[in-house]
Amino acid sequence: MSVLSKAAYFWRSAAGGLKHAPFVHFIAVSTIAIALFAAGLARGASHVVDNLLASLGGEVEVTIYLAPQLGQDEVHGVHTRVVELSHGEVTVVPPEAALLRLKHELGDLGEALSELPENPLPATLELRVPEARRSPAALQTLAKELRALPGVTGVDYGEAAVERLSAIARALSFGALVALVVVLGTTIVIVAATLQLAIYARREEIEIQKLVGATDRFVKTPFLLEGLLQGLLGALVALGGLWLFGRLLGPTLGSLFAFILGPGVNAPWVETRTVVELLAAGCALGLGGSFVAVGRFLRV
Amino acid sequence: MSGPFLGVLRGRGRLSGLALPVMIQFFHVYKAYPGDPPVLQDINLNVEKGEFVFLTGPSGAGKTTLLKLIFCGEKATKGQILVGGKNIARIRESAVPYLRRNIGVVFQDFKLLPHRSVADNVGFTLDVLGVPRAEGREKVHRMLKRVGLEHKANSLPLRLSGGEQQRVVIARALVNDPTILLADEPTGNLDPALTVEIMDLLTDINIRGTTVMVATHDATLLSRYQKRTVRLERGLIVSDEDGVKAARRMLV
Ligand SMILES: Nc1ncnc2c1ncn2[C@@H]1O[C@H](COP(=O)(O)OP(=O)(O)OP(=O)(O)O)[C@@H](O)[C@H]1O
Ligand SMILES: [Mg+2]
Repeated sequence: MSVLSKAAYFWRSAAGGLKHAPFVHFIAVSTIAIALFAAGLARGASHVVDNLLASLGGEVEVTIYLAPQLGQDEVHGVHTRVVELSHGEVTVVPPEAALLRLKHELGDLGEALSELPENPLPATLELRVPEARRSPAALQTLAKELRALPGVTGVDYGEAAVERLSAIARALSFGALVALVVVLGTTIVIVAATLQLAIYARREEIEIQKLVGATDRFVKTPFLLEGLLQGLLGALVALGGLWLFGRLLGPTLGSLFAFILGPGVNAPWVETRTVVELLAAGCALGLGGSFVAVGRFLRV
Repeated sequence: MSGPFLGVLRGRGRLSGLALPVMIQFFHVYKAYPGDPPVLQDINLNVEKGEFVFLTGPSGAGKTTLLKLIFCGEKATKGQILVGGKNIARIRESAVPYLRRNIGVVFQDFKLLPHRSVADNVGFTLDVLGVPRAEGREKVHRMLKRVGLEHKANSLPLRLSGGEQQRVVIARALVNDPTILLADEPTGNLDPALTVEIMDLLTDINIRGTTVMVATHDATLLSRYQKRTVRLERGLIVSDEDGVKAARRMLV
């Protein structure tokens, strides 16, 4: 009973603190919200890039151009070597089939191809790379090995796109990490400063509490709760912001990337996991700040 | 009401048949604020359980300081102080709150929270102890009735007269049935009729077993209520008369 009524008292006291100095707490809550919103955005962005990489990987198809003068047997020989090297699925696309496909892809323009005196396309091999070898590094090695094969004139696997995307992903995650550390530090300092003000505003109350027999913990708990409440509120605001962002800009971004991702690969900005993570991060920020404030400014 | 301290006090009260247990003891206590000459010097004092003691002397004699030493509001510079058998010069910082829960204090400067209602101010003590709200409200109401302020429960302290504020402070000190009551000028702002009422209240508390120390420089109070009187002058105890002696002196 006593524990319950104490808990009730703490909550009343903490909520009273928020009500008592709304502007100061508004600043702390917005700071937390902005920090978490930014973190959520960074997370969403890296999610999109990851998806992009994964879907690119899913389509990783290496095209191996063969020398035009190769005969059936030689093509077959290269085919065997490629299978040995890559352990993947290899299809032979004869020059006629390649021309047909190109015509089809060009549509109306394709008619012009019929005018050509002879087929300019070489025979190609299409290789579907197995999952295990789809990382940019593995692809690079594989491409090098393939290029070295006799009878192979060229190898193409969308190298530039894959490399650039993985570089972006690396930069994003590194930048996000640095930003996270800076933002978290700043946020904790700001939360601590607001709580210092709260402690100052209630120094009389604290003095009297001590005089009538309050323990240190009793005096400190409401301020820790106040920090926790700030963190939770900040996280809720950030989640609301992310949700709105996803609603308003998500479809636009989705269609922007749709040409590579294909339809349906629309990364959600607010997932259950994000909710849990942001709430936890908010609590940690609020509590961290209030611990700093209580430790430094509440000499009881 | 909780804490190990009270248990000790109660146990002693029951066990001792003959000599009354000592509630407050000072052994050669000195108190000096840094940089100043001593405010209290070589104080030796025994207050028994259930006693009523006046602490008197001119302004600046050290009455408030002596009371502060008892509830650990200040630390003695030298000497030993026992409260309820515990040496408070030696108790841990974390034990101080539990000591204070058994000591009601009427502060000379009131220490009321200006933005809280009278009822909240009185209930403050109970909040700290985690008394459930309904039960606390009930106790607060009863206490306010005893000091004649039940109709002001929802007022803010600054809207009250000096005497009314004083009674709020007394109500806050008593609401938790303390073992010891330390009252610093509890009738300083009261007219004679209210003074009688408050003194009756303090006497009543004392009869129910609470040890009471009242600091006052009001001579009429001393003559009307013939109780043990400890007189301080410039930090020294200059006289310590029991009630009978005090009464005799008044007659002469
Ligand atoms: N916090 C303090 N720092 C320095 N000196 C102090 C402090 N508190 C009290 N004093 C000094 O101690 C002396 C005794 O003060 P105290 O308040 O105990 O007197 P008192 O007997 O209660 O007086 P009064 O009847 O006016 O309330 C005074 O000279 C005062 O200046
Ligand atoms: Mg005084």
